[in-house]
Amino acid sequence: MNVLSFINDKRVRDWFYQIALIVLLVGLTVFFVRNASENMVKAGIASGFDFLWRTSGIEVPFVLTGYTQSDDIFALFWVGVANTMLVTVIAIALATLLGFAIGIARLSSHWLLSTIAGAYIEFVRNIPLLFFVLFWYFGVIAALPQPRQSISLFGVAFLNNRGITIPLPDAPGNFRWAALVILVSWVGYWLASAWARKRKERTGQDAPLLAIGLGLIVVVPALAIAWASLATRWDIPVLRGFNYRGGFVVIPEFVALLAALVTYTAGFIAEIVRGGIESVAKGQSEAASALGLRPGRILSLVVIPQALRVMTPPLTNQYLNVLKNSSFGAAIAYPDVVSLFMGSALNNTGQAIEIIAMTLAVYLVIGLAVSALMNWYNARIALVTR
Amino acid sequence: MTRVSSLSLWRERLFGTPFTGFTSVVLVVLIAWIAIPLIRWAVIDATWLGSTRADCAPGGACWVFIRARFGQFMYGLYPVDQRWRVDIAGILTLAGILSVVFAPQRLRLKLAVAMLVILPPLGIWLLSGGFGLRYIETREWGGLMLTLFISIYASLIAIPLGILFALGRQSELRIIRLISVIFIEFWRGVPIIAVIFLASLLLPLILPGGIGIDRLARAVIGLGFVIAAYMAEAVRGGLQALPRGQREAATALGLNYWKATGLIVLPQALRISLPAMTNEFIALIKNTTLVLVVSILDLLGIAQASLADPNWVGMNMEAYVFSGAIYWLICFALSRWSRSLEKKRRL
Repeated sequence: MNVLSFINDKRVRDWFYQIALIVLLVGLTVFFVRNASENMVKAGIASGFDFLWRTSGIEVPFVLTGYTQSDDIFALFWVGVANTMLVTVIAIALATLLGFAIGIARLSSHWLLSTIAGAYIEFVRNIPLLFFVLFWYFGVIAALPQPRQSISLFGVAFLNNRGITIPLPDAPGNFRWAALVILVSWVGYWLASAWARKRKERTGQDAPLLAIGLGLIVVVPALAIAWASLATRWDIPVLRGFNYRGGFVVIPEFVALLAALVTYTAGFIAEIVRGGIESVAKGQSEAASALGLRPGRILSLVVIPQALRVMTPPLTNQYLNVLKNSSFGAAIAYPDVVSLFMGSALNNTGQAIEIIAMTLAVYLVIGLAVSALMNWYNARIALVTR
Repeated sequence: MTRVSSLSLWRERLFGTPFTGFTSVVLVVLIAWIAIPLIRWAVIDATWLGSTRADCAPGGACWVFIRARFGQFMYGLYPVDQRWRVDIAGILTLAGILSVVFAPQRLRLKLAVAMLVILPPLGIWLLSGGFGLRYIETREWGGLMLTLFISIYASLIAIPLGILFALGRQSELRIIRLISVIFIEFWRGVPIIAVIFLASLLLPLILPGGIGIDRLARAVIGLGFVIAAYMAEAVRGGLQALPRGQREAATALGLNYWKATGLIVLPQALRISLPAMTNEFIALIKNTTLVLVVSILDLLGIAQASLADPNWVGMNMEAYVFSGAIYWLICFALSRWSRSLEKKRRL
């Protein structure tokens, strides 16, 4: 009798299930690890991370970190991470701009404009991203003219089937100073807005935050960049023989991947923007308009702040998708972390487990950081109900 | 309702104010600038009949190429005299789905379970052979058939796993909940392309030596796990939308956890999450294209590979337009279906 009631006790059974699951998982892990080590011994692969300090010998066509072929494999890893980050950050910025534009066009009262925006959204959302990557690479960029017939952009940058050649500053010193100035002015704006908020809570007075913001966020950085660009000697690409010399070549793989990520993601962001704006009750803008606000201020003071609350979580998902989707570049050999590390380095060393673990860790760490940042932002703008 | 002449309605819509009029003109010019060359290329200047590249007029699309390659786009390198097997597998799958959809309510569940038990092994036997049929290696499979095969079989792994993990995430048992959360967040956090590499490299490594595992099976398993994590989140939405009282009532009637879940909670939750699950299935179809990186040639892979044919150099646009249109039609139809389900539920 006692044994039976012991078995029928819910808590006992719950623990039994959980322990059984753990035993099963541990057993499976042990089984897999043993097989893996046996298979690796058979194939003559040493385990461990020592391979990271070997000379890589892998040539990379697109390097931001100063890596050369004679550096070690760990340096190659960082090249991949930097290239992944570069294309992700630029694609997120451009896709957000394009997505907002299309999303707002979709809501426009202009029939033709909203129809075109809708057609664009339906078009890109129902086609695989890899299709766009291949299409931009083999369809569009491969069809651009040879270097000799390059499309000139204002006489300083040149677009051809080997990518975009852009001018490069001879010495980056001035730009380092400009970056410092920009950072200081942004921190300054942040301090000023905190001070203004405190003052408003205390005295109820508004500070001229818009003017300060415009000055510190836009004007000062623009001046700093203008000064740096004028004070630097530029290495402007010049046509010599069959190709451009000088400048910095943005490889076609980068251009194609970026174009694909931006055009594809913008379709999803546009739908998020539309959903967010539509979620704001009509009465809100009607009330604002009854208070005498102009349409522009209704949008920026009443509608967008409330829409942002609805939009932030799905936008975070899209940003994380851009990070993960940047790996699609592996299909056209854009040297991101997947194709450099999981591809070239793995082929050279055979260290499958270590390399896969490191590559996945890159995405998990960056992904966790992005979602932590966006969660913090989300919590800040969330509706506080008291 | 007053009858407004359609002409004045259009005038009002497009030229109501000077600003809308200006926008309309700009947009119409833009459309004409893009659409006219496109239509000229795709229809007016295009060549539809013929058998070789020489039959194609310069300047227009050469749809002859698609006609010549149509079999490959559909079946990959599957032997021509065996293609009937793929057709029968497709017809059986379609018949199975239709019979479940149109069966009377009380038979539907039983029929669905029967189909799930019979069809998948039958499909694999028809496609790969053995037991009287000629054996056909998976490296000969390809094209649209492979896209559909991977999508269907990966979701056969993903849907049950996803349901289990969604239940696990909602479970009262802390360790089970933790394991489910880790599983879901891990697979959602890593790129699918990395998972395909991982599956193709690690699966042979962690299995006992001597057990070979087909490279197509590896890709399907990898994709299945990722989609399972996304499916779990879709199902979780349905579980969360269900009032707690449903499970409490079932428990009060004396049903244990699995009976309450299987008879009361899941049928309702799955019905609610069906649109979200359909959207994940669309994402899966789009992501099957990534098997290209381990040299498995699905529809997009076959289109890409066809560009290397020396007899048909420069047919990039034709290949992309054709394969893109097929993807678009499939995904668009599914997304419309998912949207209509959502509307039906709201009413």
